[in-house]
Amino acid sequence: MKVSYNWLKEFICFDFDPKELASVLTSMGIETSVVSRECCWRNVVTVKVLDIQKHPFASKLSLCKVSDGLDSYSVVCGAENISLGQIVPLAKIGAILPGNVKIKKAKIRGEDSEGMICSESELGLKKKSNGIFVLDKNTKVGVALEDILRSDSILEVEVTINRGDCLSHLGIAREIGAKIRKIPSIPVIKALNVPNLNCVEAASDLCPRYIGVFISGVKIGPSPIWIANALEKNGIRPINNVVDITNYVMIELGQPLHVFDLKKLSSEMIFVRRAHNDEAIVALNGKEYRLDSETIVIADYEKPIAIAGIVGGKYSGICEETEDIFLESAIFNSNLIRKVSRKLNLSSDSSYRFERGLGWDIAELASWRATNLIVEVAGGIVKARQDLQTIKYKSTNISLRFERVSKILGYDVKKDEVVEILRFLGINVQLKDKMVLCAIPSWRNDIKIEVDLIEEIARIKGYDDIPQTLLDHKESDTVIYSSNNLFLPAIVEDFRTKLNGLGFNEVLNYSFLEIDELEKFDLECFYKIVNPISKENEVLRPSLLPALYKNLLLNISYGCERVAFFEYGKIFAKYGEKKTFAIIMWGKIWEEWWKWLEQKIIPKYDFYFGAGVVKNILPSNEFKITENLDPKNYYHSGKTANVVFREKSIGQLGILNPIITGDIKEDVFYFEIDLDLFDSICFKKKSFYKTYSKLPMVKRDISVIADKNLQFSEIEKVITIFMKSNNILRKYTLFSVYSDESKFENNKISYSFRLSYKNDEKTLTDKEVNESMRMLLDKLYTELGIELRQ
Amino acid sequence: MSNIERIIYEAMEKIKNSDDEMLENIRSEYFGKNGILTKILKSLSHYSIEDRKRIGFETNKAKTNLESEIEKRRKGLKKTLIVQKMQREKLDCSSIFYFPFPKGSFHPIVQTIQDMILTFKSLGFLVAEGPEIETDWYNFEALNIPKNHPAKDIQDTFYLDSMKNLLLRTHTSPGQIRVMEKQKPPIKVVVPGRVYRNESSDASHSSTFHQIEGLRVDKNVTFLDLKIILTKFIHSFFCYELNVRFRPSYFQFTEPSAEVDVQCLFCMGRGCKVCKNSGWIEMLGCGMLHPNVLGSVNYDSELYTGYAFGMGVERITMLKYKIDDIRLFYENDLRFLKQF
Repeated sequence: MKVSYNWLKEFICFDFDPKELASVLTSMGIETSVVSRECCWRNVVTVKVLDIQKHPFASKLSLCKVSDGLDSYSVVCGAENISLGQIVPLAKIGAILPGNVKIKKAKIRGEDSEGMICSESELGLKKKSNGIFVLDKNTKVGVALEDILRSDSILEVEVTINRGDCLSHLGIAREIGAKIRKIPSIPVIKALNVPNLNCVEAASDLCPRYIGVFISGVKIGPSPIWIANALEKNGIRPINNVVDITNYVMIELGQPLHVFDLKKLSSEMIFVRRAHNDEAIVALNGKEYRLDSETIVIADYEKPIAIAGIVGGKYSGICEETEDIFLESAIFNSNLIRKVSRKLNLSSDSSYRFERGLGWDIAELASWRATNLIVEVAGGIVKARQDLQTIKYKSTNISLRFERVSKILGYDVKKDEVVEILRFLGINVQLKDKMVLCAIPSWRNDIKIEVDLIEEIARIKGYDDIPQTLLDHKESDTVIYSSNNLFLPAIVEDFRTKLNGLGFNEVLNYSFLEIDELEKFDLECFYKIVNPISKENEVLRPSLLPALYKNLLLNISYGCERVAFFEYGKIFAKYGEKKTFAIIMWGKIWEEWWKWLEQKIIPKYDFYFGAGVVKNILPSNEFKITENLDPKNYYHSGKTANVVFREKSIGQLGILNPIITGDIKEDVFYFEIDLDLFDSICFKKKSFYKTYSKLPMVKRDISVIADKNLQFSEIEKVITIFMKSNNILRKYTLFSVYSDESKFENNKISYSFRLSYKNDEKTLTDKEVNESMRMLLDKLYTELGIELRQ
Repeated sequence: MSNIERIIYEAMEKIKNSDDEMLENIRSEYFGKNGILTKILKSLSHYSIEDRKRIGFETNKAKTNLESEIEKRRKGLKKTLIVQKMQREKLDCSSIFYFPFPKGSFHPIVQTIQDMILTFKSLGFLVAEGPEIETDWYNFEALNIPKNHPAKDIQDTFYLDSMKNLLLRTHTSPGQIRVMEKQKPPIKVVVPGRVYRNESSDASHSSTFHQIEGLRVDKNVTFLDLKIILTKFIHSFFCYELNVRFRPSYFQFTEPSAEVDVQCLFCMGRGCKVCKNSGWIEMLGCGMLHPNVLGSVNYDSELYTGYAFGMGVERITMLKYKIDDIRLFYENDLRFLKQF
């Protein structure tokens, strides 16, 4: 809302300049900024035109002599409306005009000009103006222009949703008053003695108070300058005197008002009722709105004539011919106004105020104020009036205990100061022993309980008005300092650290997906959004995959050759939300490197590399990677594995199904693990240190030939069992896998192992090692038919 | 100069300029079967006992000296060779030749949350978490936001199941309620997490974002304590004693309520584009728990008081790195991610 600085001063006398006022109001919870200072120039003074000559080289220009009473200046001027004896504003050399225009000494078509005679638009007073700004002929010369114009500043204030009472000049003035301990002055209002007329019918749940005034014989015409100016400053377009007065009173006192043309109503009876489901109304903006039973309407016998609190009907509006009017000042159910305003996507200065709640007394004040002004400005006679109150208004009474103030705030506020602040907020106070009884004024419907009053005290004192000595003391602590709980589960921290070291980038995706995206990955949806405003928000993700895959495609499209991402977040599965971690990788494991290029090594992510990464980051050997007997459909059925923790399958890894990856030539590796189990499990190493012998290892290489269909894990099983009984074989690694049909029979494959032997007590002999190797080969042959490759 | 001394002097002179081969020759010339010193030792029997002792001692001493001198020269030669070899092997050390290890990165949002939590932990807060799918009760009603309250409109909500009143939480505040339900005061926790708002996204709005919520309930917790803890947090999080301003505001679940502004990081309060010339940047919202909120978890609001605060992680991260579009956080373009 826009507020005029000068207008505020009419309500209350204060010493702040506009900028100070903005910061005072901000410190009181009303965010305020100075949007325009009308006076944004310097060095502009009033001068008298003494002489005018034609410019020798330019027919449209004239050479003027002007004087500020002390010195005279020669100025080149292009305006047609200049004439002798005028008082005009002169921007002297060194002046700065709006738009940062600097006035310098200049030669215009060969003639010196010592400044510029300004128009209103050049001074930023109006958007458009014709010719120079001619001031009243009695204006003193040599005076700064801003002093002549008594210029105003406009403030933009942002009021929190609970403070509807601040949406007016009076409201803001009340706030300033509380701060500087002054009572604002209210405009003089004459309550007229007019007959009461029963002409309004309203339900108490829709409209607790409705004040209607009949005025006949008004003359519609343009508003006087002071009203039009006031509206323009506040960003409201003047229309005609009567309508302008309702708006004027609204920004003055905060109460939205409405006027109807009585002649256009079918009855003298006014109804405040719910709209029927099939009703419609053409509003003042020319649009037709279909209404329903949540909408409050003002209606005559036949039809709605306004959407209550939001907008008037076009038909019943004021026009030039209007003579008899009905002036409405009412209080409507704020919840319904808000609902309807949102439903119709129609909001107005009026609905903005009604939604935030209005003061009971202000409705009456505003009704009289507007009536007085209409009679004064537009003439007419007040014929009748009705003040319909469908509920009995009771003011809120709260008792405030002094001891409670310091208990909540943490610092003492003197009793006197508490009482003083409350008084200047318009609260009626009655002192008791340890407390004060407060009667809350009708406009402060946000104050409901004791703490609300405590906030008022802190707010008016200023939140920053706390002695530094108090701030320096340490906050008392009764909570024990925390152990190792972090935002991320320990296992995720572990994954992140390791993957970061391996060159992976962490990503975050939205929790939403489009339904179509699920199909592609053959995923089931468990949570649909009932009210999505866009397609992107249709469902909650049942897997991290679709978004990660989208990230991959995006980066491929930018020419990336390597993508290695990980993400931690919640997925929304059959039984609710689950903490999940996923990895996606594709492309070159390393960037091309000149040294390797010579050797033609350009490794790419594939199943075995990816699985190696997974194996590396899993925090303990309690995690086992096993054959995947029930792979997700998004995996390549032959290139996938399962992660098992304590007998429970918790994740899968593998190459994405080529049906999904389609055009991407290389393998895309994906790993997803369910972390819900691990919230409370600590993976710090728990096993004890083992002593180790310093004797050297004896290493032997052997190659064996096995059946291709035999899973390597079977061979591992045999070797593992063998290692348990034969304790000098300590380690084996696979260093070559080879299948070449020209060399071996069909379906045969060769594995080469490096076996490491050691005896902790003594150096091994060849004989011992050979014996152990022979025993292993025997085992492999008898159990799996594996032979030594000759 | 005795005979032996002369011999040694001559030998030392030769060693000084010898290469490896010459050193070997010198060794045999003096210590070989027919070497000069060997000969002297062999001839000792011709002398008197006294002379024998003296000559034997001197010769052996000469022998040790010469041998160590030869060894020294040898090491010197080897060192020179290695130095020369290293000079020949000098590489072009420009970094373009180095192995291009891919650089990992952490997401700036996760990083900010971690940083904030570390700071809060140092101030004595525990960390708690709540579900993202919430009920109307936890997200609104328990927080003193009744059905028809305008505050509900501000936080446009994604509903999952209107029958069961399931929704995506619009703030981390339901976490407060869940913590208070589970335990009795004293409570001092922060609740980080994802929150959702049903609004169209633009440079400063996103349907998904993150918040951190703080809560403290005990006997005698005051507004002053809140000011102190938040000022400490801000100073410690930004590693700089920025000015902090508390401004009255309005939230349903707190009373008194405040918004906290910090001195603009970019212009240090002088006024710039980022702070719209105000010198201040809005950082977080806070206040003293509303008695109705305490009441909704059956705490006695006469006995206990508490404060709560909440801040948007994206917003603070954007300020920290001068990021001007919130959507960048969720696009996952490597050119963005690699900068963190």
